[in-house]
Amino acid sequence: MGLNFEVVHISDSWKEHYGPFFNEAVGTNILENFPSLASSWKSDFEKCFLGYSTAPARDSLFFNGKTLWLEWILSPWFDEDENVIGAIIQVEDVSEMVKVQQELSKLKILVDVKAEIAKIGSWEFNAVTDELYWNTMTKILHEVPLDFEPNMKTAIDFYKPGDSQLKITECVNRSIKNGEPWKEKLQLTTAKNNDIWVMATGKPLFQNNTLIGIIGTFQDITEEVLAAQKTKENEQLLKTLIDHLPLNVFVKDLNSRKIVVNKAECDYIGKPYNEIIGKDDFELYDEKVAQISREEDLSVIKTLVPILGAETTNTKLNGEKTTFLTSKIPLTDEHNCVKGIIGFSLDISQIKQKEEQLTRLVNISNLQNKKLVDFAHIISHNLRSHTANFSMLLGFLIKEKNEVERDNLLQMLMNSSDNLLETLDNLNEVVAINSTKVLEKNSINLSITTSSILNNLKHLIKSKNASITNLIPTDLFVKGLPAYIENILQNVISNAIKFAKSDSPHEVRLSAEKSSGYVVITVKDNGSGIDLEKNKNKIFGMYKTFHEQPNSRGIGLYIAKNQIEAMNGKFKIDSTLGLGTTFKIYLDDCN
Amino acid sequence: MIVINSIFIIDDDSITVFGIKKLLSSVVICDQITSFTNGKDAIQLIKSNITKPEDLPDVIFLDLNMPIMDGWGFLDEIITIPTQKIMTINIVTSSISHSDRERAMTYKLKTQHRLTYNTKPLNKAEILKITSTSQQDINF
Repeated sequence: MGLNFEVVHISDSWKEHYGPFFNEAVGTNILENFPSLASSWKSDFEKCFLGYSTAPARDSLFFNGKTLWLEWILSPWFDEDENVIGAIIQVEDVSEMVKVQQELSKLKILVDVKAEIAKIGSWEFNAVTDELYWNTMTKILHEVPLDFEPNMKTAIDFYKPGDSQLKITECVNRSIKNGEPWKEKLQLTTAKNNDIWVMATGKPLFQNNTLIGIIGTFQDITEEVLAAQKTKENEQLLKTLIDHLPLNVFVKDLNSRKIVVNKAECDYIGKPYNEIIGKDDFELYDEKVAQISREEDLSVIKTLVPILGAETTNTKLNGEKTTFLTSKIPLTDEHNCVKGIIGFSLDISQIKQKEEQLTRLVNISNLQNKKLVDFAHIISHNLRSHTANFSMLLGFLIKEKNEVERDNLLQMLMNSSDNLLETLDNLNEVVAINSTKVLEKNSINLSITTSSILNNLKHLIKSKNASITNLIPTDLFVKGLPAYIENILQNVISNAIKFAKSDSPHEVRLSAEKSSGYVVITVKDNGSGIDLEKNKNKIFGMYKTFHEQPNSRGIGLYIAKNQIEAMNGKFKIDSTLGLGTTFKIYLDDCN
Repeated sequence: MIVINSIFIIDDDSITVFGIKKLLSSVVICDQITSFTNGKDAIQLIKSNITKPEDLPDVIFLDLNMPIMDGWGFLDEIITIPTQKIMTINIVTSSISHSDRERAMTYKLKTQHRLTYNTKPLNKAEILKITSTSQQDINF
């Protein structure tokens, strides 16, 4: 460049590089060729013409749709006598470099913004100079002034003495020694004495197997740690609560697999928590029960209508039955989508058992009440029939003048009176049976007792021409009151003998066996039989007879029945008209 | 005196039978007073005389509690017997139970026969009423 800014010489590399862009040629004015740079170049050139070189400068120019970054250095051009005769301009295209620099600073800004938002600081340790560098965020997190200059020792001292400090020291040592990176949750006390939780990471850098430094990040995670702690505390609270509820609590997923159970449920199933979680009812309970439960779950999941306080019976795999009051409630997520069910079961087996006992008691007292009412009817009816006769006969007697007739009436009154006395005796006997508690039962040999009764009845047997088959085992004993047992057998057997049909041989068969807590005595005949449908009220009723046998007073079976019941036994009858009758006497074989 | 052709007394208690007969003798003239100790005997006689209405009883005294066939059994049978004759059936019982009286009333709707319910002991006034009622209806 001559002193008048005219181009004197152009190097080959300029021609090659910038030739396509510029039309400069030897002799043309360089400032006119680069109008956008003209003003800055002009002053630089003038300095150069005074003999000074300029520092590298750069600027951009827009050319042919492209931004070019050029860096230039101007140097004075001397002749042999050290006179300035022009300037030499060296121009370098730094477009690529500028682009990289811009990217880098953009990245730096991004990293800074990210670090600020995430509260992530960074640091760098230079192993060669033993210097530690903290970025701004790291300093903010440590609550130190921005001009604070940390070193390895002060940095480690910020960590809480004890666990945190020991751990960070070990991490640093191990990374230096073995090149291991670290990532640890640690506690730290800031310069302003605030306790915070940080996630500290570090990664050693090596060059040619030599440690040259460590870089790392430093993040405040106090909120997360506290939130996690809070969650854990809440979980603990909830767990303590449900574990101590006197209820079985369970949460199931959509496939009815248990995902939460409380202690009561574990105890009930008889397995530890871990062995219950993830299992469905089919793996824990009887199949039928599991099927019912699954259907309930599906209904709750489908309709979102809870089941509340339903009485259910559960059967475990070992067959043990429990009655529960069960509630099942749909479990939904924050978008109201059903994700399972929550269930509560209250074991009411004991209440249920008490209820059954109560029902049994009520039934017994109802039965006894009915018996008493029946008895009251019997008494009033029987006494009334006699007193009606008294009243009528006395009415006749008062008006009767005829002596013979008067004697007749008096005789009838006497008979009536005797009948009344006998009735009262019978009623007394029944009352005695019902009010005497059979406390002590004797062991009675049934075979011997039966034989002696048959002996007593031999005249009746002969008159009816009946054949008796006694199959009662000789070694069978029954517990009871001897007088009752004898009377019962006497009545039932003589009854069976009396039921003979007139036209065919009469057979009575006696047998006895033990059966489910009872000694059952069976008296079976092939006699006339009874129409049970018509006579069901009469068979064991007082003063009820349904046959034409003489000397039947209708009291025998009634007393026998009362005696059997007084010994906790029962009486059953089966009969077909024309074919015969079977009486079964159930005597309590327990205590 | 009222004249009645045939009277049945169905009762297993001989004193009651005696009493009814004695009361009847003072208010009616009747040549055929027949007594039975159970319902079965009476119903058999009625069944065998079904073609001879003149031999059927005009008035029946019926006890409820009897062996073999009781008063209820007798009522069940008699309402099924086809006859033009209207009989006066008088239940005479020592039962004062309300349920027995109600049960007797159910038969009233099922039969053309007149049905009355009386408790023991019967007296002369009741016998008079029973017999005269039967007589009046016959006059109809």
